[in-house]
Amino acid sequence: MTAISSASGQSASGQVGTAVVPPKPRPDVNRKRLARMGWGFSAPALIVIAAVTIFPIVYSVIMSLNNVTVTGSGFSLDGFTFSNYNLLIHASLWRDALFFTVYYTVVTVIVELVLGTCIALVLERLVAGRGWMMALLLIPWSMITVINAELWQYIDQGTYGVASYILGGLGFHPVILGTPTPAIIALMIADIWKTTPFVAIIVLAGLVMLPGDVYEAAEMDGASSWKTFWTITLPLLRPTIALAVMFRVLQAFGLFDLPYVMTNGGPGTSTTSLAILAYNALFKNLAFGAGAAVASSTALLVLLGCLASLRVFRVQVGQEGN
Amino acid sequence: MRNRKRVGWHKYVNGVSISTLVTVLFILIPLYWLVASSFKAPNSIGNSPPSLGPTPFSAANYSNAFVGYDFGIYFRNSIIVTLCATALVLILGTLAGYALGRLPMRGKFTTLVILLMISVFPAVAVIAPLYLLMRDIGWLNSYQGLILPYTAFNLPFAIWILRNYMLGIPKEMEETGRIDGAGALRTVWTIVLPQALPGLFTAGIFCFTACWTEFLMALTFNDANNYRTIPVGIGEFGGNFSVPYGTIFAASVVAVVPIGILVFIFRKFVISGLTSGAVKG
Repeated sequence: MTAISSASGQSASGQVGTAVVPPKPRPDVNRKRLARMGWGFSAPALIVIAAVTIFPIVYSVIMSLNNVTVTGSGFSLDGFTFSNYNLLIHASLWRDALFFTVYYTVVTVIVELVLGTCIALVLERLVAGRGWMMALLLIPWSMITVINAELWQYIDQGTYGVASYILGGLGFHPVILGTPTPAIIALMIADIWKTTPFVAIIVLAGLVMLPGDVYEAAEMDGASSWKTFWTITLPLLRPTIALAVMFRVLQAFGLFDLPYVMTNGGPGTSTTSLAILAYNALFKNLAFGAGAAVASSTALLVLLGCLASLRVFRVQVGQEGN
Repeated sequence: MRNRKRVGWHKYVNGVSISTLVTVLFILIPLYWLVASSFKAPNSIGNSPPSLGPTPFSAANYSNAFVGYDFGIYFRNSIIVTLCATALVLILGTLAGYALGRLPMRGKFTTLVILLMISVFPAVAVIAPLYLLMRDIGWLNSYQGLILPYTAFNLPFAIWILRNYMLGIPKEMEETGRIDGAGALRTVWTIVLPQALPGLFTAGIFCFTACWTEFLMALTFNDANNYRTIPVGIGEFGGNFSVPYGTIFAASVVAVVPIGILVFIFRKFVISGLTSGAVKG
């Protein structure tokens, strides 16, 4: 504290004050010392992350290329094999799961994006109570997905679910969670309920940060609000939206909680995602080689997605870096 | 539009207010159904047509969740695991965030890019080896068996958030501390940390929410009744032929309240976290 007062006493700006202080080590030595300190500070975190994420991902790949024997007390890897992946390529299960995961993701992300953008546009015009609306939007985001799944399972329940009751009144009588297409739609609705508010918040934050003067210019040119949205708002929002979509899509490859609890991958295998397929292979069939193969292929897909969007990641780090 | 001047109610009934109302209902109706169903009598939850309100009103589901089922145990486990993991994430994340944000380390750019990538990797990619490893060292059905992976999975995002806050701290403050002769750790503790407090709130609430809601690893590593967390406990209520929805929803309301309060209090920080680039869905 005394240093602050003496430094500011010496000169008007603190920056000059610190530069004047004489016994400073040579910059390159200081730099090396600080770099060592930096790695020392980061080491605990980086070691924990590497031990629990990078090492197991690599080990999972090794397992998937071996005959894995799991016994009561341990496990052993008995030699190289590619058969775990043969199972993957030749069985339609994996292709079905991949297909389900991808189109579930595409549909939900598109719907959530459109609805979320609409909500954000409305909230931007909302004068009073926007804070409360934001708080409300955070409730579904913070909801435990398992609870979300149980709630919608109850709503869609065949004999006493309120959705079945309402559809029955309209003359439809589907067994919602017992028929593939309605079950998939039901899952998507539950997902959309939980995630749309999250998208709305991100888009709203992007909207608020847009410069106001371009709007004024558009208004003076007499552009309709519809045209302003398509030609000005949307292009300016594109980076925000692209980033949100990228993270959503990459994370969607881990889709597990909602279909596992709500439909348990069924009826049949119609809602079996890649993660459910891997989980079932590992812990229901105790086929660790095959399970690791499914998990590794999922990780590989995510890695490819990451590499494809490497530029986005680098920009994210770089734009705020020095 | 024609009515704008003539009728005063147009100020209140317009596109914005109607759309807002639709949004509110879209979010609240399922939530209402959750709470209302939790207060229905256990034998009336399966009525068709379902009654709109909790009539007759009953709190039996709540006592059932704690007495008939072991919801109290699950709640305790969730608290322990979540608090420990969040504390670890904040401690390790602050140190790493400080280093990666402020210290001249070669390779920190690459490190940050890799950390961001790890934050999108799905848990399913690691559960097989982690399960076998934990079985070997006897960590299945233990607190540390969840705390460690939760810490690791939430650290990248926390480091990212904290590093961004650290970048914004004026350099002079830190250098003042160095001249003062404060040790490196004390500089972080007394000078950098207070400045990065908003970042700590943001990282903390995200970690808390993620741990509180995590399902796959908890299901895989801690399936014994005494070590189940809330999501696993609630998920396994429904294991039998008749799903005890009333009990599930009562437990759900109790599980959602703490996180709801936290998120409400820290909503400013949640929103700043959601909009800080790397986002968790």
